[in-house]
Amino acid sequence: MVEKRTEKQLVTDAKGGDQSAFAGLVRIHSPRIYNLALRIMQNQEDAEDVLQETFITMINKIGTFSGKASLYTWLYRIASNIAYGKFREKKRIDPNMSLDESLVKPLKGHELHDWPDYLEEKLDDEAFRDCLMRALDELSEIYRSVFILRDLENMSIKDTADILDISEANVKVRLMRARLFLRDQLLNHFKCVSRPS
Amino acid sequence: MSKEHKHSVKITQLVEEQLGRDIDSELISDLAIHMEECPECKIYVDSVKQTIKLYRVTKEEQSIPDDVSNRLFKVLNLNKYK
Repeated sequence: MVEKRTEKQLVTDAKGGDQSAFAGLVRIHSPRIYNLALRIMQNQEDAEDVLQETFITMINKIGTFSGKASLYTWLYRIASNIAYGKFREKKRIDPNMSLDESLVKPLKGHELHDWPDYLEEKLDDEAFRDCLMRALDELSEIYRSVFILRDLENMSIKDTADILDISEANVKVRLMRARLFLRDQLLNHFKCVSRPS
Repeated sequence: MSKEHKHSVKITQLVEEQLGRDIDSELISDLAIHMEECPECKIYVDSVKQTIKLYRVTKEEQSIPDDVSNRLFKVLNLNKYK
């Protein structure tokens, strides 16, 4: 179905109860929300749950959408909150966990290593891509979430902080630790791929 | 960054701000000048940038499987508008 209305018009119509407008918004935003959910939940079944709950929330709460942020950002916040809530349940992470970084298990990753210059050539290699994903899997959730939202989804520091309900300073600290951890994990994992001849 | 690096704290902060694109021009300039004189920091910045780049390049957007999309519209009672 081809939608000719702008997103702004769809939102206005949806607020008025127009079901076809809701369907239009779902069509526009569901692919990226699904991908975000997949990256956080790491399995299709849970990602589908997040997808459905996100758009159920959108339908129920569209009246509260002020338009200050983009609808996309608003949906991202909803989806992220649902996904991280589920993630915490699954991993039994205390939702009231202190955000004090001193209580967070320190990550290693402050050593300096040379970076192999041939790695980009390996991007088509399945084993290499597995290395990348394994390294991301090994990153604990509180760091992974910041890395995904900020570096992969290109959310701003402010939006990342809002979504995760942490301070902007906290986002920066976690982001730094996540990047360093991933860099060092990748360097370790790279030992499992051979240098091209 | 090695413990021997005298500028590690300050430079790490600058680098992270630069990588996060949340830095003003004066700080970028400070960092660029420092990196010209400090190979250690240059390796550090380059390696972190490469790490991010590798993940961005490999980030694949999957389309929603038809059955997932169908169930979504059904759950939302929007089937007839699909």
